[in-house]
Amino acid sequence: MSDVVLNKIVKRYGDITVVHGIDLHVKEKEFVVLVGPSGCGKSTTLRMIAGLEEISDGALNIGDRLVNEVAPKDRDVAMVFQNYALYPHLNVAENIAFGLRIRKTPDAEVKNSVAEVAKTLGLTQYLERRPADLSGGQRQRVAMGRAIVRHPDVFLFDEPLSNLDAKLRTQMRAEIKRLHKRLGVTSIYVTHDQVEAMTLADRIVVMRDGRIEQIGTPMELFNNPINTFVASFIGSPPMNQLDATLGMHDGDFIAPTGAGSIRIKASVGLKAAVGKKIVIGIRPEHVSAEPIENASELAIELDLMEPLGSEALLHTHIDEHPFVIKAETHGAIDHLQKLSKIYIDASKVTVFDAETKMAINSPNQEFK
Amino acid sequence: MANKRSASERVALLIRHFRREWQLYVLLAPTIIWFFLFLYKPMYGLQIAFKDYSVFRGIEGSAWVGLEHFRELFHNEQFTRAIKNTLILSGYSLVFGFPMPILLALGFNEFTRAFLKRTTQTIVYLPHFISTVIIAGIVISAFSPSVGVVNLFLVKLGFDPIYFLTKPEWFRPIFIGTGIWQEAGFSSIVFLAAIAGVNPSLYESAVVDGANRWQMMWRITIPSILPTIIIMLIIRIGNILEIGFELIILLYQPSTYQTSDVISTFIYRQGLQSAQYDLAAAAGFFNAVVAFVLVLTANTISKRVSRTSLW
Repeated sequence: MSDVVLNKIVKRYGDITVVHGIDLHVKEKEFVVLVGPSGCGKSTTLRMIAGLEEISDGALNIGDRLVNEVAPKDRDVAMVFQNYALYPHLNVAENIAFGLRIRKTPDAEVKNSVAEVAKTLGLTQYLERRPADLSGGQRQRVAMGRAIVRHPDVFLFDEPLSNLDAKLRTQMRAEIKRLHKRLGVTSIYVTHDQVEAMTLADRIVVMRDGRIEQIGTPMELFNNPINTFVASFIGSPPMNQLDATLGMHDGDFIAPTGAGSIRIKASVGLKAAVGKKIVIGIRPEHVSAEPIENASELAIELDLMEPLGSEALLHTHIDEHPFVIKAETHGAIDHLQKLSKIYIDASKVTVFDAETKMAINSPNQEFK
Repeated sequence: MANKRSASERVALLIRHFRREWQLYVLLAPTIIWFFLFLYKPMYGLQIAFKDYSVFRGIEGSAWVGLEHFRELFHNEQFTRAIKNTLILSGYSLVFGFPMPILLALGFNEFTRAFLKRTTQTIVYLPHFISTVIIAGIVISAFSPSVGVVNLFLVKLGFDPIYFLTKPEWFRPIFIGTGIWQEAGFSSIVFLAAIAGVNPSLYESAVVDGANRWQMMWRITIPSILPTIIIMLIIRIGNILEIGFELIILLYQPSTYQTSDVISTFIYRQGLQSAQYDLAAAAGFFNAVVAFVLVLTANTISKRVSRTSLW
């Protein structure tokens, strides 16, 4: 097991720079997820770690070795690809054994390793089948088996669940998490799906335009997004964002909106922003449909309701901005359909500078 | 059956279908007409293989003779020699000519410099676009005993000039070599296309697993293009009796008939030069039946062995 250290890593294609000097320290046994929209440089970063892309600038260390110039096979990493990358002409056993055969591992050892991995992944009964005869989930498991069998220092996952349907994705997500728990191998996982990132990661790295926006644990990112981009990227549905001007009323910080004034809990930095344009961030799950003490009350008109079972997503508009509320149904939705007032706890409001888009306060920290 | 449509309903459905899809049928029509006129209609004339055909009596008026022409053919030494030569030339061109485009495609795939790859490809594709008559002219000039580059080279090395094109033992290598030179490059396009279709992440995954270029070629590229290789092989086997007729006609001469006369040249001489249309039709019919059996056999074997087949 090794840690992976990226030091000012840059990737250029001719005159175009796609990764702008990123720094990241993935600790031994850690599960780090790189997340971001398409084209943010997350896959390129992963491919640089794997050795499939040259590093234009900066230093990459795996363990205590500088590996910039080291061939992929000598980096002791294993990669799982989005489209499984299974050899269609080989059966499951031969696919899993491929890396070992290339390294001329003795036959008996190959057989034992394949059997062991197949058992771990529940593939024993499919060993003789070809990839074409397997389901998507089984194929992805074979792809993981091929990575596991070599006992690498680092696992690299490039959107491994993107080709699976929603149900299978949830199932495989849990399997990957379980596997990481059992094997404890340092893992770097790329996805554009924030749910995968939240559920799998020890730490999440949010990327945009080849730069790291924020690194933190899932809950840190959820509770204290550093800017509006992270706020809108992490969380499902994303954080509601409203434009307003920060004001003060009776010693309280307030943000007036068309639906009513929203009180904001005092914190360092807010005072300097009084009178300035701000963006208020409120998570859909932090909006209450029932009155709560000391909460700001907003008058709304519902546009649409999406019942999800135990919860429902209620859509409305405040000052022309779409605003989503995640409300408990308690088994019925009738009472939500008539909803005309919502309540917002002052301590759950994040404030961003309208110009820089950076967070001014963090609701879960007294002082930032 | 209660749920079976009546004839009038079926006709109505068909009319509606044609009205809706007529553009597709218009697009399809030229090919169907071509097939009919040039491949199916001539089949009517096949019956002369079983008749004592006379141009004056016509196909209808000629008397049936059963398998008489086939008996005659198999008692004709020239015909059995032509079958033997066809099989030998086809066999050699299959063994030496078939793998060549595959090797070329694999080679092109390994070029990392685009300019070098493009230039080499153009050079090997070019002979395909030269008319066979000119190719034959080049070959005849190259092997000429007096001014041919090959003989000039041999003389330089101290050997006597060889009359390559009049010696039966040299016909096969020259024919096979010319065929490879003319077609191997262009035929490699099919295999290059197959290689281009191989999922790039298979190679990336192999690189991470530690495979070198040689291992990737053996373990990924070749197995991945195997279905294409098999399809091409089946087609090639189907054409095994239709060996390059034009090139043989242009290169052979009576002194090399012993190794160069094949079924198609035999048919040409019998049918057109000696006007024995019925005998030539019988030879052609035999040729087609054997080719059909060969394709069926190759397809069945391939289906069983590699799960790949034409149909």
